[in-house]
Amino acid sequence: MKKWLETWLTRGAKSDAHARYLRRLRLTDGWVNVTRLGILALFVAVWEIGAEKGWIDPFLFSSPGRIWDLFLRMAADGGLFQDIGITVLETVIGFVLGTAAGTGLATLIWLFPFLSRVLDPYLVVLNSMPKVALGPLFIVTIGAGFGSVLAMGVAITVIITTLVIHSSFQSVDPNYLKLARALGANRRQLFCRIIFPACIPDMIAALKVNVGLAWVGVIVGEFLVSKNGLGHLIIYGFQVFNLTLVLLSLLIVAILATVMYQLVFHLEKRLLRHRQLE
Amino acid sequence: MNGSFAIELENVTKVYLSREDEVQALEPISFRIHSGEFVSLVGSSGCGKSTVLSLAAGLIRPTTGVVRIMGKDVLAPSNRVGYMLQQDCLLDWRTVKDNITLGLEFRGLKTEKTESHARFLLGELGLAHTLKQFPSQLSGGMRQRVALVRTLAVQPDILLLDEPFSAVDYQNKLYLEELLTGVLKKSKVTALLVTHDLEEALALSDRILIMGNRPGRIRRTLEVPEELRSATPLKARGKPSFRPLFNELWKEMDR
Repeated sequence: MKKWLETWLTRGAKSDAHARYLRRLRLTDGWVNVTRLGILALFVAVWEIGAEKGWIDPFLFSSPGRIWDLFLRMAADGGLFQDIGITVLETVIGFVLGTAAGTGLATLIWLFPFLSRVLDPYLVVLNSMPKVALGPLFIVTIGAGFGSVLAMGVAITVIITTLVIHSSFQSVDPNYLKLARALGANRRQLFCRIIFPACIPDMIAALKVNVGLAWVGVIVGEFLVSKNGLGHLIIYGFQVFNLTLVLLSLLIVAILATVMYQLVFHLEKRLLRHRQLE
Repeated sequence: MNGSFAIELENVTKVYLSREDEVQALEPISFRIHSGEFVSLVGSSGCGKSTVLSLAAGLIRPTTGVVRIMGKDVLAPSNRVGYMLQQDCLLDWRTVKDNITLGLEFRGLKTEKTESHARFLLGELGLAHTLKQFPSQLSGGMRQRVALVRTLAVQPDILLLDEPFSAVDYQNKLYLEELLTGVLKKSKVTALLVTHDLEEALALSDRILIMGNRPGRIRRTLEVPEELRSATPLKARGKPSFRPLFNELWKEMDR
């Protein structure tokens, strides 16, 4: 066993010194992971035992066991997955639409500098306004349903995306533009071949921020509309004082948001491959 | 083309306007460059060297006066002109192959033939193996050589060079100078070089225009003697007439 661990720790070593270096590096990696999992396990265990022994009130703080039981029960009747599906759909569409519309708007105001100057104060006001306050307006115009929740997801991401991408367009190194023009580029080529691709890293950064923002928009939207989705489960659980339901929904939101962030992260790695080359 | 020059500036002035101020960058200047000639513009920073180059490239329009390339008024960047900057400005999301054909792409000249010519030039500069690599995989000197290939790939009659070698190390600078003069001699291209490196100006040029400050003007023209013109840049630096001329230039700049 010990020998097997030793070969695994030093796999791919080029020399004895390299083997020792790799061994130290991988041991640290291992301990980091063990400690991470340990903290999680400890937290869950203390929570469960605390609720069992009455150190904390399980009515308020529930317990891992109760959450798991509820998950199994709700999973069995299938309603939970419908709520998850709705919320994921709203979030994904909201964040794709918000990012795409923001990029489109940024392109438009780059094309027409006059428009950019005209719209500037409006964008600043819209950006500083809390978008969730628009909720009631969405509900009366679009109706209490999927559309309103989606609108919230888009509203919360679109303005900040516009501002970030537009300033990214404008901060492209002027030497690149000078060179492209001297090489005969027209305005369209300048945008499509130089400015837009140069700003892709910033667009991905915006995408990362928007994943988080879209979740805020959609959950708040579901609070307000409160028909279905994880946001609805949270607010419903709160109203009937079923905190187990609230915590279960929160846990699912956390997992889904992490998965989405990881997907964007992988997209970034794929698109920016040329940057990692040495 | 009777009597027309490769580059011709006639009483050109340039005034830069801003909300607060107007700045006269050039007072009326005139000069002519023959086809196949290599001319350098030297002068302290802020004397309008780069403005002259941008005017010739058609990137900016003169406030008054006329700029002509091959006898024709310059209204926009011309297809016959290649332009090179201190920064290589390679697009880091494109491979070397797609970087060197950028100018061909912009001008709608990208064909099998022009593309293979660009690849041929890359080989001439000893970089054939980098065709499929990204700029981030190349050293600074190699990147500037790729930039040179991109400039030459459009087969320009006139090269405008804005301190192209001032960001690379000394060894690479000498190497690039040799490469450049080699290519120019073969193809009889006219070149206008902006530099603050007096040695470089002297080693490369047929003629040196010394510019003065605020507003920019041409203070003196120095003809480089045949001894230096016929030698390669590296050899010219070792000729007996090189040092005295360098000192003369230096004194002129210092005034």
